[in-house]
Amino acid sequence: MQPEIFFQTLVNGLFIGGIYSLVSVGLTLIYGVMLILNFAHGEFLMLGMYVAFGFFTLFGLDPYVSVPLAALIIFLVGAAIQRGLIQRVLKAHSLNQIILLLGISTLIMGLVQFFLTAEPRHIRVPYETEVLVLMGLRLNIPRLVSFLASMLISVSLFLFLQYTKTGKAIRAVSQNRDAALLMGVNVKFIYLLTFGLGTAVTAMAGVFLTPNYKLIPTIGQSFSVIAFVVVVLGTMGNFIGAFFGGLIIGVVEVFAGYFFGGDMKIVASMLVFILVLLFKPAGLFGRKSA
Amino acid sequence: MNNEMTKKSDAQMPKSALHRWLRFAFVDWEQTQLVISMFILALLALTPLVVRSPYYMGIIILTVLYAYIGISWNIVAGFAGQLLIAHIIFVAFGAYTTIVLYNNFGVSPWFGLIASGIMAALLGAVVAFITLRYGLKADYFALFTIATMVALKALFLKWEFVGGAVGMGLRIHEPGFAKMIFQNKEPYLYISLGLVFLGLLAQYLIYRSKMGKYFFAIREDEAAAAALGVNTSLYKTYALLIGSAMAGIGGGFYVMYVTFVEPPQVFDLALNVELVMAGPIIGGLGSLLGPLLGALVNKPLAELIRGFLSVTRSGSSLIVYGSFLILAILFLPRGLSGLLHDAYLKLRVLIYKEEKE
Repeated sequence: MQPEIFFQTLVNGLFIGGIYSLVSVGLTLIYGVMLILNFAHGEFLMLGMYVAFGFFTLFGLDPYVSVPLAALIIFLVGAAIQRGLIQRVLKAHSLNQIILLLGISTLIMGLVQFFLTAEPRHIRVPYETEVLVLMGLRLNIPRLVSFLASMLISVSLFLFLQYTKTGKAIRAVSQNRDAALLMGVNVKFIYLLTFGLGTAVTAMAGVFLTPNYKLIPTIGQSFSVIAFVVVVLGTMGNFIGAFFGGLIIGVVEVFAGYFFGGDMKIVASMLVFILVLLFKPAGLFGRKSA
Repeated sequence: MNNEMTKKSDAQMPKSALHRWLRFAFVDWEQTQLVISMFILALLALTPLVVRSPYYMGIIILTVLYAYIGISWNIVAGFAGQLLIAHIIFVAFGAYTTIVLYNNFGVSPWFGLIASGIMAALLGAVVAFITLRYGLKADYFALFTIATMVALKALFLKWEFVGGAVGMGLRIHEPGFAKMIFQNKEPYLYISLGLVFLGLLAQYLIYRSKMGKYFFAIREDEAAAAALGVNTSLYKTYALLIGSAMAGIGGGFYVMYVTFVEPPQVFDLALNVELVMAGPIIGGLGSLLGPLLGALVNKPLAELIRGFLSVTRSGSSLIVYGSFLILAILFLPRGLSGLLHDAYLKLRVLIYKEEKE
């Protein structure tokens, strides 16, 4: 493999890995706080894409302009779903929780397909294929933007969790729910906020994908599966783990695609998943066995 | 005085044949469920006398098959409480095994079904080895089955030997018993009824056995079960092996009946929800009657949606199934058999009270 191709592939991997990071950070945050596997996670990414599509077709808004709008809308949708449905099963058997979330995922997919059809949609922007050449590397502008923005959002979310009062409350609930409750943290509100935030960042990731990806109602599923692999790799509930795990999986996928063809990407992720479960089940950032 | 009276009434023979039968059926809830199941199977076996249209016969056959596959999932998810989400991978493995053996090697599907069970159980063993060790988070298993489904889909799409993206169609020969190809639909019905009969029996025996008790202990609290000396990894693996083998056999029959299999069709979460999960959840996960009862509601409903709604708009079946799962978990977590159980408890009191008087 020539060095130029190697670096080009590496950059491509990091670019898509940034999106994976953002999606996985949302998933791991929800899991860490609520101990619930959000099986509908990818559907919120898909909803984010469709919100951007809606603003684009109705008002001609550039997808990048609709990022905050999509985040806000999906935050509200996520919070409503959390309060209305998920809050009721937090004490139930995990199987019931998963079935409920699978139901939510199926319902969201069905609604989008029903009202907007399964026909692929495309947001056409003039800069879709524009390229920035930097030291011999060809950087696709929308992918570069999505990468930088994903990094920025992930880091801001991290700082928010680390340094603000609300962020500290979220981390407190994730460490010990009862202790946080006794310290006067409104746990119910924290759950609402966390689910809203987790889904909102995922929706933003979806919007950043729109210049390069066609919109179909089932697009969320593949991202869900990748996010599952990433959060296990980076230790479930660990924010930093999900962040770096996303980048790693992105790079692994792109190299696997280069050597074995694009269809084998998911198989490569699967192999990483198997290796982690066999040899490092606590994940890269776990202290003890999971 | 009081004691004497109860003794006397217990010794008394029930008055009528009906009463004797009722007493048998109401000994305990498990036995009652078995009796109701067999009654439903008998009714289904008689349907060819009434149902003449092949279309409706087809729905009945698939209803029975859905019940069978539901049972196989119920043992893993309902009894042992394992977070087995993409159970469809075992069905798919079984379907491919039977059709490949028949098309490429001319192996009779009767042996194919057995091979399907073995192949699916092998896949189950691999999955169990990777994810069901004690101490691993149960959530990993849930994530792993879904990831496996997606990865297998990618592999099967590329694997030309099993038809690749085109899939495989059953090579149609002259109908014959050894080839499990029949002119009429009735033989398919009786084969599927035989499968459900065996499935229900297996389910009942497991429920009653020591292994079944271990499954329930693991479902309720794995750490506590392990502390009491249950080898939880082993019994979780047993549950998965039984469930996957049964699902594999069901997949083998499925492909003989629908005569076609392709990767996007079988490695699909929507089909997984419809074929595997919806029935037992509607009927009552973890109960003996649940999968059968749920299938009776589920499959005809699926056909109804496909027949009437999907013509106008796609996505309607997803909406219905999604709502079903949500509503069942929120409002009817014990399913239809939970309702029946409540009724049973009331009736039981009536029957035994009457006897004492």
